[in-house]
Amino acid sequence: MKTSTDPIRDYLRAVEREACALPAERRQELLADLAEHIEVTRAERPDTAIATVLTELGDPRTIAQTALAESVEAGLGPAGAPARSGADAPARRGKVHPLVPLLMLTLSLPFMMIFPDLPGPLIGVLFRITGAVLLCTSVHWTAVQKTTGVLVTAVLPTVVIGAWNLSSSGPAGDTPALLANLAMLALLTGTATWLWRARQA
Amino acid sequence: MEPGDSTKQARAAAQLRKGVLEYCVLALMRDRPRYGVELLQALEASGALATSQGTVYPLLSRLRRDDLVTTTWQESASGPPRRYYALTDSGRAALEEFTRIWPGFRDAVDAFLTTPPPTTGDLA
Repeated sequence: MKTSTDPIRDYLRAVEREACALPAERRQELLADLAEHIEVTRAERPDTAIATVLTELGDPRTIAQTALAESVEAGLGPAGAPARSGADAPARRGKVHPLVPLLMLTLSLPFMMIFPDLPGPLIGVLFRITGAVLLCTSVHWTAVQKTTGVLVTAVLPTVVIGAWNLSSSGPAGDTPALLANLAMLALLTGTATWLWRARQA
Repeated sequence: MEPGDSTKQARAAAQLRKGVLEYCVLALMRDRPRYGVELLQALEASGALATSQGTVYPLLSRLRRDDLVTTTWQESASGPPRRYYALTDSGRAALEEFTRIWPGFRDAVDAFLTTPPPTTGDLA
């Protein structure tokens, strides 16, 4: 920093060094902004010493730290993903009321029980899939809660019912099937209730 | 970056500035586009909002990324072309929102800082 034949270049290099954690594009933009500032200030105040202009501009480290902080504040860390995707996402996604996926997931089973003939189960499965998708895209739950919810309320009943239908080709009777369905319904309701209580505003 | 008394004293001012600076910058563009050095001069002249000039550029960069301002290059009669910053619709909306909530915020802080009148006086 000392023996400077070109204080402006030294200054910008210092900023560049301090801002090395910044994504390259962001860093170049900062340097371009500062270079432009220096140029414009020199044109407007030709009598001011360059050292004064640089002092007013401030400590390179402070500027770099501010740039890093802005980069982090934008939501997505120094990795530098565009800030807008972070800001817009909650608005675009999860507009569906949290009750909708829970009801779709829970009610798909009784729907299939009430309408066991062909269009019935198909609609029930569609309900279940839509419910699972809505649950996963909602902003009301954490990733772990979503995974648990989808596993218990969509994957588990589908697998169990599928296995039941395959294994007992000739059903032993309606009662065990009904009992199994009711047990499954209780599990679905319980999980949905848990998700409802655990949801985030 | 030597932590000293001046740093400690400046902390309150720095915290406050951090919260309001971007809205003051947006407000400066309310009536017409401004270029960087012009914005900095206005902040400097305000006294309380004067800050290390270079730190405003990362802020302007973020405002641009957040689509609150747009920039255009304009030739100047003297010296290099200037990059002018102008409010976008969402920038204007953000400024209006801040303008709406600021008086209540300011009054609430004032109320905390002002010594409360002796309300128990009636009882005594």
